[in-house]
Amino acid sequence: MNTVPETKMNTLKEQLLESDRLLKETGHYAGLQELKNRTEDPMKYESLHTNLRSIAVEAREMARRISASPGVREVGEMVVALYTPEGDAISLSTGIMVHVHTMSRFIKWMIQNGYEEDPGIRPGDIFANNDAFIGTVHVPDVMDVMPIYYEGELIGWAGAVAHELEVGGITPGGDVYLAQERFTEGLIVSAEKVGTNDSLRRDYLTRVERNVRMPIYWILDQKAKVASCLEMREKVTELIDDVGLDYFKRTTREFIEEGRRSQLSQVQDLMVPGRYRGQNFYGHITEGKQGILPLSENANLLYSIPLELDVSSDGKMHLDFEGTGSWGYHSMNCTPAGMDGGLFVALTQSMNYEGKVNDGAWMATDMNLPEGTWTNPDSHLAATATSWSLMLPAFGIFQRLISRGFISRGFKEEAFVGQVNSPMVEMGGQSQYGDKFGMALFECAAAGSGAIGMKDGIDTGYVGWNPESDMGNIEVWEQGIPMLYMGRSISADSGGAGRNRGGTAFSSMWLVHNTDQLTIATSEHSSRVFDNAGLCGGYPAPTAHPHFAVRNTNMDQLVEEEKPLPHSLGNNPNQTDLEKYVDGDFEHVEGPYIDKPFKSGDLFAHTYNGGGGYGDPIERDPLDIARDVENGYVTMEIASNAHAVVLDYDEEKNECKVDTKATVKRREEVRQSRLNKAVPVQEWIKSERKKVMEKDFVPEVQNMYKDTLNISEKFEKEFKTFWNLPEDFTM
Amino acid sequence: MSKKTPLVLGIDAGGTMTDTILVDEEGNFAIGKAPTTPGKEAEGFIESAYDATGIWGLDAKKTFEELSVVLYSGTGMLNTLLSRTGQRLGLLITKGFEDAVLMGRGMQTWAGYSYEDRLHAVTHAHPEPLLPINRVRGVTERIDQFGKVVIPAYEREVVEGVKDLIDQGIEALCICTIFSHVNPEHELKIGEAAQKILEKHNIDIPIYYSHQVRPVIREQSRLNSALIEAYATAKGREQLVNVDKAAKKEGFKHGVQTVLSYGGLANMNYPRLHETMISGPVGGILGAKHVGELIGTDSVIVSDMGGTSFDIGAITRGNVPIDNEPTLDRFKLNLPTIAMDTIGAGAGTIIKVDPFTHKVSLGPESAGADPGPVALDRGGTEPTIGDCDAIMGRLNPDYFLGGKVKLNIEKSKKVLQEKVADPLGIDVYEAAEGMVNLLELEARSSIESIISTRGVDPSEYHLMAYGGSGPLHMAEYSRGLGFKGTMTFPFAAAFSAFGCTTADYLHRYSQSVQIMIDPNADETSRDQIRTQINDIWNELNTEARDEFSSEGHDADEVIIEPFAMMRYTGQLEDVEVPAPQFKLNSDDDLNKLTEAFETLYETMNRSVSRYGEIGFTIMELGLTARVEKVKPNLVRRPLQSKEPNADASKGTRPMYYNREWHEAQIWEMDYLLPGNVLEGPAIIEHPATTLVIPKGDYVYFDEWTILHYEHGEES
Repeated sequence: MNTVPETKMNTLKEQLLESDRLLKETGHYAGLQELKNRTEDPMKYESLHTNLRSIAVEAREMARRISASPGVREVGEMVVALYTPEGDAISLSTGIMVHVHTMSRFIKWMIQNGYEEDPGIRPGDIFANNDAFIGTVHVPDVMDVMPIYYEGELIGWAGAVAHELEVGGITPGGDVYLAQERFTEGLIVSAEKVGTNDSLRRDYLTRVERNVRMPIYWILDQKAKVASCLEMREKVTELIDDVGLDYFKRTTREFIEEGRRSQLSQVQDLMVPGRYRGQNFYGHITEGKQGILPLSENANLLYSIPLELDVSSDGKMHLDFEGTGSWGYHSMNCTPAGMDGGLFVALTQSMNYEGKVNDGAWMATDMNLPEGTWTNPDSHLAATATSWSLMLPAFGIFQRLISRGFISRGFKEEAFVGQVNSPMVEMGGQSQYGDKFGMALFECAAAGSGAIGMKDGIDTGYVGWNPESDMGNIEVWEQGIPMLYMGRSISADSGGAGRNRGGTAFSSMWLVHNTDQLTIATSEHSSRVFDNAGLCGGYPAPTAHPHFAVRNTNMDQLVEEEKPLPHSLGNNPNQTDLEKYVDGDFEHVEGPYIDKPFKSGDLFAHTYNGGGGYGDPIERDPLDIARDVENGYVTMEIASNAHAVVLDYDEEKNECKVDTKATVKRREEVRQSRLNKAVPVQEWIKSERKKVMEKDFVPEVQNMYKDTLNISEKFEKEFKTFWNLPEDFTM
Repeated sequence: MSKKTPLVLGIDAGGTMTDTILVDEEGNFAIGKAPTTPGKEAEGFIESAYDATGIWGLDAKKTFEELSVVLYSGTGMLNTLLSRTGQRLGLLITKGFEDAVLMGRGMQTWAGYSYEDRLHAVTHAHPEPLLPINRVRGVTERIDQFGKVVIPAYEREVVEGVKDLIDQGIEALCICTIFSHVNPEHELKIGEAAQKILEKHNIDIPIYYSHQVRPVIREQSRLNSALIEAYATAKGREQLVNVDKAAKKEGFKHGVQTVLSYGGLANMNYPRLHETMISGPVGGILGAKHVGELIGTDSVIVSDMGGTSFDIGAITRGNVPIDNEPTLDRFKLNLPTIAMDTIGAGAGTIIKVDPFTHKVSLGPESAGADPGPVALDRGGTEPTIGDCDAIMGRLNPDYFLGGKVKLNIEKSKKVLQEKVADPLGIDVYEAAEGMVNLLELEARSSIESIISTRGVDPSEYHLMAYGGSGPLHMAEYSRGLGFKGTMTFPFAAAFSAFGCTTADYLHRYSQSVQIMIDPNADETSRDQIRTQINDIWNELNTEARDEFSSEGHDADEVIIEPFAMMRYTGQLEDVEVPAPQFKLNSDDDLNKLTEAFETLYETMNRSVSRYGEIGFTIMELGLTARVEKVKPNLVRRPLQSKEPNADASKGTRPMYYNREWHEAQIWEMDYLLPGNVLEGPAIIEHPATTLVIPKGDYVYFDEWTILHYEHGEES
């Protein structure tokens, strides 16, 4: 079998079934065992690919011109892609790569659910979706797709996704952490035909205008997405005029098959086959917080995320999340579509960035997402508003595991400690213009990355979901929020220590301004457990920072008297600059922040996350640490305690010198003390087993094990075998 | 040679060579070349100009008196930035934002990268800051988006900060506060206080205000502009003024002009010289557009390799891409710029071989003009690409700059042997070619990257290769890329200078505003809006005419084209709308302006994205003011035989290529004629440039005397 399915007479559903059958039976996408068009005329083949990709890249740029949302315009939270009739991605722009495959799910869902008959798929139709159980990550990721027809035949789809900064949920913003079921997540559009004849329906726009806090973001983004789909449709049609329909159909599928093959060969080149295992945890402090609905126990949440990665000698990767916890009445659940997206974005950054970047890479991998766990809830009522909370740590393990593979083959420069959570600030209420507003302040999209095998992590320039990271300009953000930045500064020690340091993130501090009512909510926090480890002896990325706020401040008086004002939290762990300089009612909140509204004159501070380290911190070049201290990336305390360097620091001049002799001595002492502390593994296991037998755990840990042992027989068996527990052991 | 009447003199001062192009009324060219004289640019300029006038046997003084236009564009400032050899800066910034110099924008870690590397996150990295955090001092102050003072500027912090910066020996002071483009009050107040301290300490250094350097929204870009202006243009301005003086001393009657990033011209006193920093490459784009129009090619990739840098740009279907937020050395700016990419790669690029790891690296440092490559025998000790070209017989040791500089091949060979070949344990010629190939590979991948980021299909484009070193390396850097055609020019070395001579006198004037046109606005408020718009355009018009008059133009010759930067209220991107008329006389004229916006917006963004229901906002009002300038022409000549005339032949010379020696035919560029075809192995020599044609490739001279490079077997 070596042909593209004859499509003309078949329904889309038949085409989809046929395509799935061919992949399953032949192991090749669309049954393409040979890349005939590539072999025959490689220049023509590559030229079509370059053209299709540039169409997507340009369409995204056009959309960014139209958008009113700083999310899209300023920090690029958008992606556009071209799909086959069956919904497989052929070529894509840069941007939020996570959505290339989620959109694929959405198209396939419509086909599988009989949309050809009802509501019908016709030229000029616009379909929208932000239902994660159909195909997206969470409600703010609203996608639009349009069919592309050529001579009466549906020959593909143009699609675009943008992350909306306001979706009309129970709290303002997009990642509504307070949502416990889908009913409080905001406006959900479930695979709906929202336009015909290339125009959005007025009744649909009215629904949006009346149901979100900041309709201009959603509506202009949606117009932008439709415009970019139309642009792609037009350009693709012109290209088909040039190359011919048969050539187009065959070649675009060859692109996907080539993408699939190149993913396999990348794995073969870069990794050693075998079984890789890793683990992350995520802890969410909700106890006692306002607004938690009665569905949950109002207890703190702790998730265990184990990942087993099997790499076969033919380059196939299989990810298995068996042993992770069950979904719950909180907003951190994820759907298989979201998990697909997480895998795709991780692959595009590490292996699938060259050549044919498309759904082929995804086809060369598969995942086990155990039903009933947070990765695959068995009820579509589960909320997924902050699914990144668990998804990022989950694919953070994946990045560390493949990095181990890279290192074992000698590709140390590719080893990347990878993803982190970067908690977001969302807000709403009364704007500085006197009307209502809502906004997710997306400056979180430029946190610190994990360290890299050959260099430090990227400071203030990385997030897992969008490789084109950015924080945007303050002067643009301030146009959308009734707050003034008092400062935006590097957050010292936010990168994990290591021979190569994890990238650092930044903190922002705001003075509430020109409003009587400003509600702030934040999301995605693991404040008590590390949600991303280091690699090869590097320390993990620090946990999420607590929040600090001051209400009823004396800022007016301080300004009047020209007294020092707070601009950052400062580097004293015992006293923030807020406490040092300001009087008022102080708040120090761990975990997600949600409280009564702020008003003009109040202060609020928020810190983003850095990445994990690589290699033993006491092997870091002392001169690099001296430079880090001068630049404010690392404090003297961490330089001394974690990196074991002795520095002579002139604070006034901000000049740091290394005491080389003392450093050598100190590092030797640290090595010795490590040896003194070390115990044989058998002894350690013995002592830990005692704790397990006695269930000597804090309640969160005990509950976590109760849940995971209950949901997975396989995990229960392994747990009992490992710890040599009696058959009747229960948590 | 017949008597020529010179019209335009274009000078392009690169990091290594200063190229002159002299154009007469009939479109004949004479190319002059002289080493750039860092620190005394006027000398290189005059020498290069004399070289050109000498070719036509003209009296230089008389030529200067007769010239209508002298255009000077230099990469000096750009090279100062690229090589981080600028001023020692101090910065006063809104307190709380000191770290901005380290944090930059996240996007600066990947801006300008190829599609692949944009995705491949481990490659991302920040550019090296222009000043260390030690020389940044915060001043407590805040102004909000409406221009209202929320926290007054704390003057005592200015005093402390400036004293500290003086102790650190700063050479220039920058001031940047949030929303200073809306209300500059605090920047001015801080500047005034700083000036007092400086005067008290008897220190005379310039102060750069972000609201003056670039009065537009986005603090990070404004800060970058101010820092770059201060860092790299101070020496540059001095150079320009000296060039202007030297030209006048020679008898030139008008002011020397320089080229702006958006293709306009300005004189030496222009207050925002960073707008000229990418002007060298811009000249090439203007030239390529001009030539493309003549010969009917509207999609062109330009590639310019000189001594220090390699610049690449694209013209698509006649459209010169303007980037409103360009990156300059990976710093984000807010400056309309003809889009170009630059990497450090040229004949002066220094080759380094790590003595321990044997890791080979090229540049980014360049030997520049002083001392230049070892072969120039002016004290250069580090091996460069030019040295490799010299020992491989690709450069004629007796004909460099037409024989004015004799190349010391033995010296080059010795240095290459010691510092490159021996550490690597290979033959010196093999080493030399290996290094040259590495450079060509870098140039090639930067072209590939523009293909990928700009969505260019090479089969629709011609590649134009120029610059002093372009023809030396074009055979390899263009090989296998699949372009429709590859061209170079007899005057390749001065192509950028030629391009500059095709520009008009053009300045842009603008003012930031925030004028909201509500869909339900009553007539009174619409009248107020009209008056406000008319007043601003009027003021700018006066300013433009005054400035042109002061530059020696007739104010009546100035062509004014007003524009408004408009958006739907709430959007974040403006459309530059050419105003249908200069004065909005009636309410209907205001409608015409918004209609012009919607029409243009719809053309750019499709009709589905219209949203007039939410009203319009004007963010900037401005105008371009232009005076037309005489332009040179290419001359079409009848085609001659394929065989060149015998007098063009200069014999043969051994040339090392593809790991073996070839006996290459040597030709004299100026004696080759339209219709001639030259087969490799061959070298075409010109006093200012050398075109290398390896075995298997050939070159065809068309009727415009443009050289078409054809690769033999595409690898």
